[in-house]
Amino acid sequence: MNEILGIILAAIISWFNFVLIDTWMGLPESPGVKGAEIIGRSIQKRGGNLAGGFFQGNIVCSPDASAGTLLASIACFTIGTPEGGLIAAVLVYFGNRLCADPGYAGTTGALSITAIIYLTSFIGFKPEFFIVGMVLAILTIQGLYQTGASRLLGKLAQKMGRYTKIS
Amino acid sequence: MLIEILGIIVIIMALRTLLAQNREERLLCLNVIGFSMSAIIGLYIQTPFGAIIAITFFVTSTLSSNAIAYSLGRVKEEIMVK
Repeated sequence: MNEILGIILAAIISWFNFVLIDTWMGLPESPGVKGAEIIGRSIQKRGGNLAGGFFQGNIVCSPDASAGTLLASIACFTIGTPEGGLIAAVLVYFGNRLCADPGYAGTTGALSITAIIYLTSFIGFKPEFFIVGMVLAILTIQGLYQTGASRLLGKLAQKMGRYTKIS
Repeated sequence: MLIEILGIIVIIMALRTLLAQNREERLLCLNVIGFSMSAIIGLYIQTPFGAIIAITFFVTSTLSSNAIAYSLGRVKEEIMVK
């Protein structure tokens, strides 16, 4: 498969993988760790959405599904497709507990991307496409235009019934 | 090719960090650099130990981001040197 096309498709798949799992696990609902609330309030102050801000704060402060997606892709690339993802899932679980995060978003994200990498390997996707794709996906959320991304994440949280009750 | 794309992302984010208005915005941009750096480590050291290094780097960088974000809430009344 063409490398550029593969990276773009992998970026779209990783984006949906981590955003849907994180929203489903309730990242926009409440700040799971203390630092996430400060980042969420700062984004709200700059004209963003509070639920989207909590989502972004939780990504920064603890390894969640985005970290699980990236680290499982790296481990699949260097160790091997199913077993690398499982090792990454265990290490992400330890990382969650080190950050005092009670959730399972990181582990779920790592396991789901391992299944996706395994299934898409039959149609020519390589794990390295997912490594670069995930960095591009996190760039669209946190790098380029944070307040706009937070509003989009807030709308998605509202649709999935995970909007924050804190105001 | 893959490492070059990641390198360009790191440079863009480094410039974006310099232009950021406040510390919270800067922390989010630094998180993207953390993602890119661990991806570069994984792609450059193509051995199983490379993956362990990348994962350890990433988890410890989120741990320090966690500590920084927590302490940012406490230094709001800090006097800035102009």
